[in-house]
Amino acid sequence: MTDFLSTYGFLIVTMLQAGLLGLSLYFPLQAGQLSLASPGFYALGGYVAAILLTNPAFAGLRDTLGNAMFPLTWLAAAVLAGLLGLLVGVPALRLRGIYLALATIAFVEILRVVSLNLTFTGGAVGIFGIPQAFGFQDRWQYVFIFGPLLILTLLFARQLERSRVGRALRAIREDELAADAMGVPPTQYKVLAFVIGAVLAGIVGAMSAPFLNTWNAKQGTFDASIATLAFVLIGGSRNIWGPVVGGALLTAVPEVLRFLADWRLVINGLVLVVASLYLPQGIVGALERLGRPRPPQRPTPVKPAEVTP
Amino acid sequence: MELSQFIQNLMNGLAIGSVYAIFALGYTLVFSILGIINFAHGAVFTLGAYFTYTLVVGQFENNGLLKGVNLFPDGSPFSGQPLTFALATLLGATLAGLVAVLIERLAFRPMRSRGADPLLALVSSLGVALVIVNLIQLLVGAEIYNFPSDAYGDTPPALSFTLGGKIVIIRTVQVIIFAVSLVMLVILGYVIGRTKIGKALRAVAESPTTASLLGISVDRFILITFFLSGFLGGLAGTLVGTAFGVAGPYFGVVYGLKGLAVIVLGGLGSIPGAVAGGLVIGLAEAFVPPEFSAYKDAVAFALLFVILLVRPQGLLGRAAIQKV
Repeated sequence: MTDFLSTYGFLIVTMLQAGLLGLSLYFPLQAGQLSLASPGFYALGGYVAAILLTNPAFAGLRDTLGNAMFPLTWLAAAVLAGLLGLLVGVPALRLRGIYLALATIAFVEILRVVSLNLTFTGGAVGIFGIPQAFGFQDRWQYVFIFGPLLILTLLFARQLERSRVGRALRAIREDELAADAMGVPPTQYKVLAFVIGAVLAGIVGAMSAPFLNTWNAKQGTFDASIATLAFVLIGGSRNIWGPVVGGALLTAVPEVLRFLADWRLVINGLVLVVASLYLPQGIVGALERLGRPRPPQRPTPVKPAEVTP
Repeated sequence: MELSQFIQNLMNGLAIGSVYAIFALGYTLVFSILGIINFAHGAVFTLGAYFTYTLVVGQFENNGLLKGVNLFPDGSPFSGQPLTFALATLLGATLAGLVAVLIERLAFRPMRSRGADPLLALVSSLGVALVIVNLIQLLVGAEIYNFPSDAYGDTPPALSFTLGGKIVIIRTVQVIIFAVSLVMLVILGYVIGRTKIGKALRAVAESPTTASLLGISVDRFILITFFLSGFLGGLAGTLVGTAFGVAGPYFGVVYGLKGLAVIVLGGLGSIPGAVAGGLVIGLAEAFVPPEFSAYKDAVAFALLFVILLVRPQGLLGRAAIQKV
């Protein structure tokens, strides 16, 4: 067991982390908003944690708080990501479809260039020597923080879907104008969904900084945006399990293909192409369809001859 | 700013801006026909540069499966002369165009015929980009390749003069890049605006269904669009490569992103918009003061963000009619 955990622990934690990032993109998508901003908030959360945990300015705080410092970094990351999400979300969510996607790509890129050039983010080198959370000895122990976060997020997402807010979000996704006409304020709910995603990505970042030990501008890039989107779309975008399954699988694929050595990244690309061609509903969507009885056939139209009296 | 510095920045901006323009045209052509963004366009840009390099040099000395293989044992077919280098460039761009056609057939058409979510086309094209970039890395390694200096990288400056005690140098490469881009724009403008092919293309862009009812083979014109798109992307790749060296398999990633900023700035799907957007971003980058040069790469995205908030349809785009 310990052998298994020390070999695959890192991968398992990375799979959980990918699932969580997928979920952070899933929240705005529930309201029909394609946002690719998650890696930006993830990077921000990581920087917040990395700075709080290594910067000499917070040495006193660290000494007083001890291990309570780690939950504090999560909280700080959540608050900052939420605030930034609000700041970006309010103007950006006036945009729709591909325009919102491009605006959020621009946001992530701006954040990346800025973090590359600031001194307290460590410039291009980044921040290293981030202490392990709660003095964990092994990487697999991060399951103990990512696991509960995933469970909490899934519970939250399920409750949200069943609540009035969830119904409002779905209404906006299906038809924004109609939802507006029915008295559902679209902007308010869209910003809410966006901020929830931002907060989640920020917390995941704050947990990941100690996990990865170093943090730099490579954490939040365009590639990461698209990878996260792929988690959701390949897994399935209409079910909370979609992002989790997609994130876990797409993270595992390159590792499972390790025996193919240099070819595994090429094959990873092919997997994306083939999956988007043959699993348009995502993996979870396809499974759901398998489990459901086939929709009833259209009734055959009544022939005019039979209608006439 | 002194006049000499101003002229220098202006020339730098026009040269890079015109490459942005022809590169972004490839994006915008595909977008105007299919309504999707082809994220593999940046990879096609990289491929164009590598194709031309292969034609000119014929062998790769760095790591990778092709290390030491001499593709043209009697010396490469297109090296040495600027004229033959130009031929290699055209051929390299053509090959890039054919790859784009292949991408359409393998990654986009099957999806279109299934009526899949356009978002999935985005993921699919990203998968293609991953495949291309990693294949390049496998075959020829991740190192920088430079075009041979006798191509036209090292030719003496086209123009250098003193202005107010400062020397202004206009590099030949810059002039060539600007001239080639300009010629491409004129040709493309003519093809799209004046010829029968262009008319059909515009019809398909307006409404594929109506166009097919009028007897236009939509699939064929989509292929033509992808060929043009790949040709322009590959050509841009070689042009940038001659100026800065081909910086590895990830060469096109930054250009791919900036190209997005360019087409949104100009107006998605608008051809004059892509040109205007390219020049605006090229010039804006050239005029970033040296003390802020580290933030140069953020200029395009800051402009993109601002334009989206102020005028989402872009500088020259039409406001999209909202579907109810």
